[in-house]
Amino acid sequence: MNWIQGLLIASIFALVIYLVRSRRSAQSQAWVKVGFVLFVLAGVYAVLRPNDTTVVAHWLGVARGTDLMLYALIIAFSFSTLSTYLRFKDLELRYARLARAIALDGAQTPDSH
Amino acid sequence: MPSETSDVWIVVPAYNEAGIIGDVIGQLRSAFANVVCVDDGSADDTGDIALRAGAHLVRHPVNLGQGAAIQTGVEYARSRPGAQVFATFDADGQHRVTDVLAMIDRLHSDSADIVIGTRFGPGVSRPPLLKRVVLQTAAALSPRGRRLGLTDTNNGLRVFNKTVADRLDITMNGMSHATEFIMLIDENRWRVAEQPVEVLYTEYSSAKGQPLLNGVNIIVDGFLRGRMPR
Repeated sequence: MNWIQGLLIASIFALVIYLVRSRRSAQSQAWVKVGFVLFVLAGVYAVLRPNDTTVVAHWLGVARGTDLMLYALIIAFSFSTLSTYLRFKDLELRYARLARAIALDGAQTPDSH
Repeated sequence: MPSETSDVWIVVPAYNEAGIIGDVIGQLRSAFANVVCVDDGSADDTGDIALRAGAHLVRHPVNLGQGAAIQTGVEYARSRPGAQVFATFDADGQHRVTDVLAMIDRLHSDSADIVIGTRFGPGVSRPPLLKRVVLQTAAALSPRGRRLGLTDTNNGLRVFNKTVADRLDITMNGMSHATEFIMLIDENRWRVAEQPVEVLYTEYSSAKGQPLLNGVNIIVDGFLRGRMPR
């Protein structure tokens, strides 16, 4: 098995664990920020020295730096899609509880009609 | 009206059922003093008809789904003085009032916490073939349903006591609440019994029934439910 295959499979499992355990604690939000800073630094570096991504790709058993970027993009996109989905589910529940509170507040009894 | 049903509350979630809700509420009111209709943001005048037919009315300002409507109805009913027994009853006219009465007797005689209707019991007519295949697949795919010995995990007719009503917290807004009910029964170790009920597959209720594909949603939502904050 190539390095890249191992890394990609590990990322997929990380995705599943993230999905299962995702509770938006302050700590996990801090990690998101740290990850974002690392991403920005890596992005600037890759723009300045594009050929270095190919060197990293070779370490991992990928032919081209472009391919490596594509794999990284797919994983990042999956993470973001799943976390958006979970966020929406969470909001939907809060929204339902808000609507329920309004509904119960305005309940009508048959005799008051 | 029999006085022994004064502690019973019937919860009827309704969405765009103006054509039939009046009859359904009327039938229920001939046997039960307390009926609450949850109008789930209907575009027609379902809510007003239900209120005129003698139901209490709780109106969702927006459409939230049947699970959310049941939760709202139960929260309303459990806050009413004297409420001890609760039932969920579909608004599309597919359930029979006599079945509810039998299930209430069963709740008391078996000292169960919750009695669920089943379409696969002795002495009731069987659903159409396709419906039967879908329902039995859903029941077979529910490990908890199997463990609890339930044959019909998606029946809309349920009768339960105050213990269940007080702890009930349906978080699946859509049609997956049936699975969530089963999960809650399992998690809270409620004593459950099954009662054969007749389900009337009228043209009206079939037209509004769940499509086959919805089974996929129910299974995926069931898997994700444990991940949601309670």
